[in-house]
Amino acid sequence: MKERSNWLAKILPPPSDNIVSGADLDRGYKNFSRGLFGILIVLVLVPLAIISLLSHHQYKHLLQQRELDQLFLNLEQAQSTIEKFVAELESVIKFVARDDRYHELLEPKELQALFVRLQSEYPGFVDIEVVDSHGMQKSYFGPYQLEGHNYTDQTWYKEVMLRGVYISNVFSGFRHVPHFVIAVSRKHPQQNASWVLRVTIDGQTLQNYVDTISTTYADDIFLVDQSFTVQTRPQKYGKISEKCILFDMGDTIEKNFKKRTVERFMMVQKASDMIIVQKSFNGQQILQGVSELVNTPWKLVMVKEQYLYADAWFSFKIRLTTIFLSCAIVAIFVILEIGKAITNHLRESDKKREQFLVEAEQPNKLASIGRLAAGVAHEINNPLAIINQKTGLVQDFMEMSDDFAYKAAMREALDGIQNSVERCKKITHRLLGFARQTDVKNEEVDINVIVREVVDFLAKEASYNQIKIDFDLDPDISKIYSDRGQLLQIFLNVTNNAIDAIGSNGTITLSSRQIDPKTIQVSITDNGPGMSAEVQQHIFDPFFTTKETGKGTGLGLSITYGIVKKFGGKINVRSEVNKGTTFDITLPVANN
Amino acid sequence: MTNIKLLIIDDEVEFAATLCQRLQLRGIDATDMHSGGEGLAVLEKVAPEIVILDLKMPDMSGLDVLAEIKKYDPGIEVIMLTGHGSAGSGMEAMEKGAFDYIMKPVDLQELLEKINSAYEKRGKA
Repeated sequence: MKERSNWLAKILPPPSDNIVSGADLDRGYKNFSRGLFGILIVLVLVPLAIISLLSHHQYKHLLQQRELDQLFLNLEQAQSTIEKFVAELESVIKFVARDDRYHELLEPKELQALFVRLQSEYPGFVDIEVVDSHGMQKSYFGPYQLEGHNYTDQTWYKEVMLRGVYISNVFSGFRHVPHFVIAVSRKHPQQNASWVLRVTIDGQTLQNYVDTISTTYADDIFLVDQSFTVQTRPQKYGKISEKCILFDMGDTIEKNFKKRTVERFMMVQKASDMIIVQKSFNGQQILQGVSELVNTPWKLVMVKEQYLYADAWFSFKIRLTTIFLSCAIVAIFVILEIGKAITNHLRESDKKREQFLVEAEQPNKLASIGRLAAGVAHEINNPLAIINQKTGLVQDFMEMSDDFAYKAAMREALDGIQNSVERCKKITHRLLGFARQTDVKNEEVDINVIVREVVDFLAKEASYNQIKIDFDLDPDISKIYSDRGQLLQIFLNVTNNAIDAIGSNGTITLSSRQIDPKTIQVSITDNGPGMSAEVQQHIFDPFFTTKETGKGTGLGLSITYGIVKKFGGKINVRSEVNKGTTFDITLPVANN
Repeated sequence: MTNIKLLIIDDEVEFAATLCQRLQLRGIDATDMHSGGEGLAVLEKVAPEIVILDLKMPDMSGLDVLAEIKKYDPGIEVIMLTGHGSAGSGMEAMEKGAFDYIMKPVDLQELLEKINSAYEKRGKA
């Protein structure tokens, strides 16, 4: 707990600690306000930023995943479509090459009739030929003069004899146009030897087919052979019969993947016969799906440039940024206001506490100083009485004597002593008055009458000093229950101070008003020189005076303060240097 | 005002003696005593018409001495001397039978006026 409050105190220094001056206090509140702002901002903005980043990441991931799923699905569909198409071609050829049709097909007419029928269904068929079990071409129908070929040593022939079916890559060959070949081998039922039916199909047929399945989703779709030579025309990623530019860095995707995975590739999805990688191609992020076409020599390549959802992604980013920024702005504004409110509240309560302490201290100060004053006054009063009498006696003797040298000077000196005694007497009487605790009388008093009496009493002094006294009295003010003599003393002290403060030429205004049914207020305003804040702080302290030595005891306002407090009232001062001073004396109507 | 028999009771010896001397110079038959007990003891011998009595003395309070004096002779007028700056204790003494009170340090002129008034009151009585 202690440790926690220590670190908190470092960030949030309590403003009223270690205060030396008003400037320190101001700095303290500023530091506190700043610390509070910092903590609240961190508390609000950090979670907001984390949530925003998470949303950003999550949404991006979601979009990518969707894109990927879509590509995977399209690839799968395209794969199955092309496989079906090739299988269909293969089965048509298998169907026409029935085992026992060998001799029939050796007849050029029969072969031609078959070819014409096939071509009416499949216009892409270019030519058809029958090869015997030794690799010798026995019959041919087509636009080229290819009769009598010996295929014994050719790979395709070995393969078809071995596997029963052969599908070639797309190539130009003697025909000089791209084409591919489907060959099937059949066993002759009587001769126990195999023969082969070989059909050449225009490469365009494959192209047309791939073109029909080009989706709006993919940016490019084409076939490559096992060594990545392009088989159908890509729109963007390579040229037909050339090595595909997407695969120029290695032989197989697997190999590429293993070699380059770190900086170039990221395999994002993989099925048994399908692989999708994400990579950068010419500065463009692409998704590249490759699928093996079963029972064909080809692979299907589908390329998708990221991002399909670029619009959605852009508007999401805009929205996220807008939300984040507006939340941040609102948070900063609200936090600033809260910080200000809390700091002001703190400042106010500190001020109140200080005021309370000062007020609580005042009566104690008065009481202890009062006791001290009474003791001193009493002790001094007795010797003073003796000096007074002894001087009087000397004066008596002197008056009774005849003239003697220095009689006049001596008389003057004795008068001086008597005057000083008189001054001392006034001081001790006032000190004793300050200390005395008399009972408060409780009588009905008209405050306006009291105020006028006070002014009557001081009118002469005021007029000597060209001071004008104005009244602004509320004629309907409630009568109050209080001690008339002490009320007179209150207003006399304050008004007397106002006269002293003005010196000469000025105005004093005495006003009275009802604050509420239970409270009245008398204000005494002068247009004298006013008081600094420093002086205002001490005016109710005993023995504090700004009057020249010998003119004031510094007890007047202290006594006034004591009496007002005793009556359950309040005395406040408002003053501005060079403008004047107002004392507001608030008194309860009923004195408890 | 001459030949007024007056007794001063105050524990401040110098004060009482000097005041006594000054009153004597003005023709008053004044005597000074320096405690409540001494003062009461000489009442019969001095037979004062007026007593000037300090309110605060170490042996007896002025109010007690006042009560004793009034018990001895209610006709004796008593002027209280008070060191307090308050009228309160003086007023209290007046309620208990004192003629008047005067605050220390004493203004002799004022005191003489009060003695005169007291004497006049006694004469009327």
